[in-house]
Parts: sequence; structure tokens; C-alpha cells
Amino acid sequence: MAFFFWKKMRREGQKHSVERHVFNSKKRKEKMMRTQHAMLFIVMISFMALAAAPAWAHFGAVIPSDDIVVQDDDKNLNVQIKFIHPLEGHYMEMVKPRQFGVMHDGQKTDLLGTLQPARGNGPDQNKAFTFWTTDYQIRRPGDYTFFVEPEPYWEPAEDCFIVHYTKVCVNALGLEQGWDDHVGLETEIIPFTRPYGLWTGNLFTGQVLHKGKPVPFAEVEVEYLNDSPGNISVVLPPADPYVTQVVKADANGVFSYAMPKAGWWGFAALIEADWKREHDGREKGVEIGAVYWVHTRDMK
Amino acid sequence: MKIIKYVLIAAVVVLLGGETALAHRVNLFAYAEGGKIYTESYFSDGKPVEGGKVLVYDGENELLLEGVTDKEGFFNFDIPKIDDLNIVINAAMGHKNRFKLKKSEVEAGE
Repeated sequence: MAFFFWKKMRREGQKHSVERHVFNSKKRKEKMMRTQHAMLFIVMISFMALAAAPAWAHFGAVIPSDDIVVQDDDKNLNVQIKFIHPLEGHYMEMVKPRQFGVMHDGQKTDLLGTLQPARGNGPDQNKAFTFWTTDYQIRRPGDYTFFVEPEPYWEPAEDCFIVHYTKVCVNALGLEQGWDDHVGLETEIIPFTRPYGLWTGNLFTGQVLHKGKPVPFAEVEVEYLNDSPGNISVVLPPADPYVTQVVKADANGVFSYAMPKAGWWGFAALIEADWKREHDGREKGVEIGAVYWVHTRDMK
Repeated sequence: MKIIKYVLIAAVVVLLGGETALAHRVNLFAYAEGGKIYTESYFSDGKPVEGGKVLVYDGENELLLEGVTDKEGFFNFDIPKIDDLNIVINAAMGHKNRFKLKKSEVEAGE
């Protein structure tokens, strides 16, 4: 897309070279050249960023087909569980999780047995990877928090395992209770903003917990799901820092982020686990992540 | 004197015209089980709707029965007819909502 923009700029440059003789041509030409160079620079940076395989952030993701179920809606939810780079769209191979369930009205229900494997890949991946899906029937009113504990994922680039404890909340039938309940995972984000009914631009606030206690100054990565349903303008990051943003929690483990686009947003607070795991006969560190997903909509 | 007069007028207007605007929407949830229909009426924050009028209509919009929700927001009754049921909650200040039970769901709860 950026390539076509660049070509357009060149054409404009040629158009202006005719007018050169009529107006204050020298200044115009210089300005056009600068603009062309700027565009070219941006295009090159984007291509370099994409080609150079930078450290795209891994995110555990749990995405439901609907996050607010009203009476006339289809009460059957389809939930997808994946391990991906949300902005870039790349999938990583995900084996069947260790734990998957839903919490509603204070009760946890094990749904691991309902998971079906599926295959998916990003737009520029040449092979497919495994992810997981399930169908869940909503019956009673209230908030439903789906949660997953994946099997540790070995990441050779970081020489460690990764386990993202991921949650998402679906509201059903007008009863807004349960969204801030603790599931009791090793590490989790507790939403301080009701995590549904959010507009683009709203502030999402959450608290990072590890073994039930707040994590002071936790580092939280934020990334947008580029293939959010309804997203017609794919986000092209102008530079690496735009792919995964970072916010730091305060002394109480509380962080905030204002979401600038409609779609799904993931928040991942990453900490080092106090346990190790073996890989090829050697003890390796484990990065555990508390991940939370919310959906925003443009205000119209 | 003038100020007091205006304050009094304002107070009267407020008292007459003011309705306690319910901050939360009124909801109703219903299901059929063991030969009965169970209805629960609640606000979005979970508080029960007490003293709400419940009206039960059949598939042809004929009123079958009516009742009032109790302290817990419940109003339960024996299945009046195997049909689509349109159950309406009419709470104070014109706050209404409804829940539709399909004939198949009513039948399953017989």
C-alpha cells in the first residue's frame, strides 16, 4: 500500500515540474522533493521493520464471537484461543492448553474437554498453525470470564518458556456482575474498568496480581488485534515501538491505557516466574504473563 | 421575600414533576422447569426489582395471567399454556422490559 503512495508522490512531482515555469517553481520543487524523500524514507523504514523480524510481542489470546449478549442475540458463543502476534497477525503453534474454563456467578466451569483444534496463519506465513476453538451456550444473566492456562511455550529467541494466563469477559442479559471477580490464576489482570461497553478512546484500567497480590511497577505490553472483526483499515506500524506499546503499573500494580481504535486490545503484564522448567536437559526461566482482552467500538 | 418565593415555586415544581429516574435498566429473565415458569427481575447492578408487575401474554398477545415480584424479584407460576410466551415486567416510573420464551422451551420445562 505504501508503495502505491510512493508512486503517486512521484507522479505528482512530475506534474508539478510543468507548473515550475509558471509559479515560484524552485521553492515548490524543493518542497515536493522533501515530501517525496520523506515518503520514501517511511516506506523503507516500514519494509525494513517488517523484513528485519523484530521482537514482535507474543500474546495469548481468548476472543469470543460476541462480548455483550442480549436477549435477541444468538446465545451460542464461539470462543477462539490462540497464541499470536496481534498486530502482525502471525500465529504460533499452540498445543492443547493445560486449563480452560469459564467463571460465572462465582463458579468456575471446566471447558477443556470441549476444545477443538483449528488451523490458522497470518497473511505472510507460508504454513498453518494450530489454535483452539469451542462453542459455549449462554443461559443465565451475568458476566462470564473465560480463562486459559496454556502449556509452557518454548521460545528459543528468548531462551525461556512463556505461559500467558489469558482472560476475557462476556456480559449476558443485562446483569453486570462478576467482571471484577478474581479467577485465582498464578498471575492475572483484574479489570478496574468494566471490561465491556467500551468506546474507542476510553481508558482501560487494570491491576496486575501475582499469586493474588498486586505487582508494583509491573510492565504491561499493549497491542491491537489487526484482524479484529470489522477492522477495514489494517494498521501499518510506522516504527517498531508502535507495534507493542509499554505502560508501567504504579506501586499498587495499577495501570491505564486509552485505546485509540475500535476492535480488540490485549494487555500483557509480564513477569519472571519463581519456578523453572527443563529444556533439553537444562533448567530454563519461565516468563509468565497476565493477559486481558477488551473490545472497543467507535462512538457514533 | 422574592427569593423565598422562587425557591418555593422551584421546590413545588421539583416535587410534582420530579420522577426518581432509575439509574439502571430493569431486566427480566425467565425459564421453564418442572412444570413451572420462573421469572427473575433485576437491575444491571444485581439489585432485585421488588413489587414489579409481571404480565404473561401468549403467542397471540392474549393476557394469560399477571402477578407481582417479591422481595427477591421473583415471580413464579405454573405453566399456563404450551405456546410462545411474552413475559413483561412493568416496574415503577414506566420502566418496562420483556423476555420471550419460545414454545419449545416451555414444552421442555413441562
